[in-house]
Amino acid sequence: MEPLDVEVDENSLELPSDPMQLLMGPSHPAMHGTVRIILDLSGETVVKADVQIGYLHRGFEKSCERGTWNQVFPYVDRCNYSSPMLNNVGYALAVEKLCGITVPERCQYYRVIMGELARMADHLVCNAAMAMELGAFTPFLWWCRAREMIFDIFEEETGARVTHSFGRIGGMAQAPTARFKEQVRAALPKFLASSEEGISLLERNRIFMDRTMNVSPISAADATALGWTGPCLRSTGVAYDIRKAHPYLVYDRFDFDVPIGTVGDNFDRFMCRCEEIRQSARIVEQALAQMPDDGPVNVDDPRFVFPDKREVYSTIESTIRHFKIVMDGVPVPAGEAYGYTEAANGELGFYVVSDGSGTPFRVRIRPPSFAMVQGLSKLITGQMIPDIIPTFGSLNMIGGECDH
Amino acid sequence: MPTFKIDGKEVPYQDGDTILMAAYRAGIDIPYYCWHPGLSIAANCRMCLVEVLPPPGRPAMQLDVLELDRATSSYVVVKKPKLQPACQATVTPDLEVLSDTSPHVARARHAVQEFLLLNHPVDCPICDQAGECKLQDYWLAHMKTPKRMRDEVIHKPKATSFGPTIVYDAERCIVCTRCVRFCKEVAKAPVLDKRERGNTSEIYVHEGQQLDHPYSLMTEHVCPVGALTAKDFRFKARVWFLRSAKTICQGCATGCNAWLDFDPRYQKVYRHRPRDNQQVNQHWMCDEGMLSYARVHEGRLSQARIGSESAPIAQAAAAIAQAIANAPKSAIAIGLSAQHSNEDNFAMLTLAKTFGIQALFVTGQPKGQGDTVLRHEDKNPNTAGVAQIAGAVRSFEELVAAVSTGAITTVITLGSAVPSSASALAKLGFLGVIGAWNGPMAKAASVAIPACSWAECDGTFVNAKGLAQRSAKAIQPVDARPAWECVARILEAAGRPVGWKKFNDVQSAMSASAPTAQEPAVAGAASAAT
Repeated sequence: MEPLDVEVDENSLELPSDPMQLLMGPSHPAMHGTVRIILDLSGETVVKADVQIGYLHRGFEKSCERGTWNQVFPYVDRCNYSSPMLNNVGYALAVEKLCGITVPERCQYYRVIMGELARMADHLVCNAAMAMELGAFTPFLWWCRAREMIFDIFEEETGARVTHSFGRIGGMAQAPTARFKEQVRAALPKFLASSEEGISLLERNRIFMDRTMNVSPISAADATALGWTGPCLRSTGVAYDIRKAHPYLVYDRFDFDVPIGTVGDNFDRFMCRCEEIRQSARIVEQALAQMPDDGPVNVDDPRFVFPDKREVYSTIESTIRHFKIVMDGVPVPAGEAYGYTEAANGELGFYVVSDGSGTPFRVRIRPPSFAMVQGLSKLITGQMIPDIIPTFGSLNMIGGECDH
Repeated sequence: MPTFKIDGKEVPYQDGDTILMAAYRAGIDIPYYCWHPGLSIAANCRMCLVEVLPPPGRPAMQLDVLELDRATSSYVVVKKPKLQPACQATVTPDLEVLSDTSPHVARARHAVQEFLLLNHPVDCPICDQAGECKLQDYWLAHMKTPKRMRDEVIHKPKATSFGPTIVYDAERCIVCTRCVRFCKEVAKAPVLDKRERGNTSEIYVHEGQQLDHPYSLMTEHVCPVGALTAKDFRFKARVWFLRSAKTICQGCATGCNAWLDFDPRYQKVYRHRPRDNQQVNQHWMCDEGMLSYARVHEGRLSQARIGSESAPIAQAAAAIAQAIANAPKSAIAIGLSAQHSNEDNFAMLTLAKTFGIQALFVTGQPKGQGDTVLRHEDKNPNTAGVAQIAGAVRSFEELVAAVSTGAITTVITLGSAVPSSASALAKLGFLGVIGAWNGPMAKAASVAIPACSWAECDGTFVNAKGLAQRSAKAIQPVDARPAWECVARILEAAGRPVGWKKFNDVQSAMSASAPTAQEPAVAGAASAAT
């Protein structure tokens, strides 16, 4: 029997090849935050990607100009809700730089430990989400359980699991609890074990390796040109970490390494974060050993630090001190300062301007995500549709700080 | 002007100045409680102590003091310069004063502040003064430490009524005697005095008397702490939430400079307090004027009205324009108001000129009580301003007479206050009113348009001495519009638009036509109203 189509011209069988336009987000369960990507697709391949941010804009910087300097802390909490403690510390350091005050050593260690715990939680949840997006649901559950251990410490110390608002200009809201060191020392090995367990499921996993290696690579030159910092920059082979390059707090007293990648693909970004969790644990251990058990946490300056609550209710001097800080705000001298710290995603900078009153004249945030997201369209162009979300996840874009 | 030195800085002074007065003028901050630029010198708080350097070549005046050496637990004799109260020490040529740079002065200020807070109750959370209290400001500036005394504080009477307006809290009082001196020296009603000694001393009202003179609220204003509080303001607002506008008091022709304090969140006015102006009210205001802030929210004409029905402003303006068109020009009278600003009255004058209306009259509040301190018997803030821009116009009584004879059938007027009975106005064919309050004029109106009060718009007011002063807007009007804008809408409805959009437009139009405003042709009636 003769085939029916023997006479048919070969060319007329081709499918139409115009690129298809697909709108991803802004409200889609797979998107990290409310971001929209307008994709031009050829088959399953991304030809062009237009990343649009701004759907989470809350006027954070403008809001800061209304309250007092200390009332900014709840806003910075919500800038990066994965590691609010790092934001708290970053903002406090910027304002303290402008005031010319340095917090006592005990507080510096406390800030380092709390910040590194937040970094570990942030990295863990970023990696967990990325693995889940590739179909690996087990590591996600294990790691979320590990993150709970850190959240339990935060809850004990600050009273809140996520948005702590725990930083203060000139110190912290509370001194470390009596059980602080004991609790961290108890939780840290369990946390690390859980983290390693999850890593062991993925790092030599054929599916995971095929799906992440050489997917969305970026060169060191491109990443630097885009203003990338943090683990995403380090995954390209640039060993830039503000904790090493410009040490703040007491970071120059710790022995830790800066892990770097080679090709800057999704696998490198994943592995950089995994290694940074281990390095953070080293820092926490050293800091716990060095941190004084007693001594002041806050600066000894009634202009900046709230008095003890019992004193407020019983003596006029402390009542006045409390009132002056609440009514007028802390007296930040007129001028400007740029404070920068290594947050979980990279350089987190706060540019603060004071006109000498108790209210910020201007607070400008330099969020690491903002620079990262401008590289996203370059990363996913030429990749397949199923790689978009894991790539997006590997950048760890946080809508709260990106849309500032 | 000769100068002397404070902390090495040259400060100009006038002959007879004290150190504090010269520093106050130059804007140099020397802390003080009992001193007040408008009162006599008591020098009893000791907060303004400064170190006066001896003339060159002369030894410093020094005192031997015993000081506890905590290391050895024994007393040692040390020398310390004799500090002088800056409020009392007169400036002499080439005087050198150390204030912020002297460690002795810093120590004295710390000690005085600690002493004044020694028996102070923990009242900031329930005290109206919190936020503008010198005890709070100076604690942070000059003390910054807890007190050393561990004993129970002295307790005294709290919330004692001194009269219809003032409450006294003896525990908060630092006995600076500012209130005593104010009553004696400015209000000339010496009802307050100080009794007892040491830490039991307190202010009291003389037996059988009350703090009820017309300037009683000023005692609260001069009180540097929360000892005297106004019954009117008690527990109403927290001062750090309030913002202030520079206004002119509307109570009488004195035109006291005032701050109108309002809460921008609720657009609500909370108090009126004096703003220093040596030419007008020095540092003072009368009770009537300070309480007049309440009028911003009370008895207002809230909506435009045609007959008894509420209507949009545009419709009411059109109704007034129609009434002007319907009546013969000789039977229309235009009313100016001594209660309104120059700009509002100029707008009315423009309305009269545009339609060639000759009959002008002026209304306002009836005369009241005056005194030699501040209060003027003319209870209108802008009588002189109306006379300046409109010249001689008819009085309200003359208008009433013309209405009774039927010569005037239509009246368009500014302001809803009348100096005498308005019952004759019932005979009018049409009465159009642009007013801020629902007064007798507005109640009799055929058409009424709500105007802004002084709190809601800018305006210029000329006081009895002929001083033109600007009053600034504090809050947003609800439905009212500035009176000049209401007039502009009438003119627009009549097809004769003037194009005023902003306050500045009216001001520039007014300055352009200023010479013609004095012409008798506009003034109309020959008989002068003052």
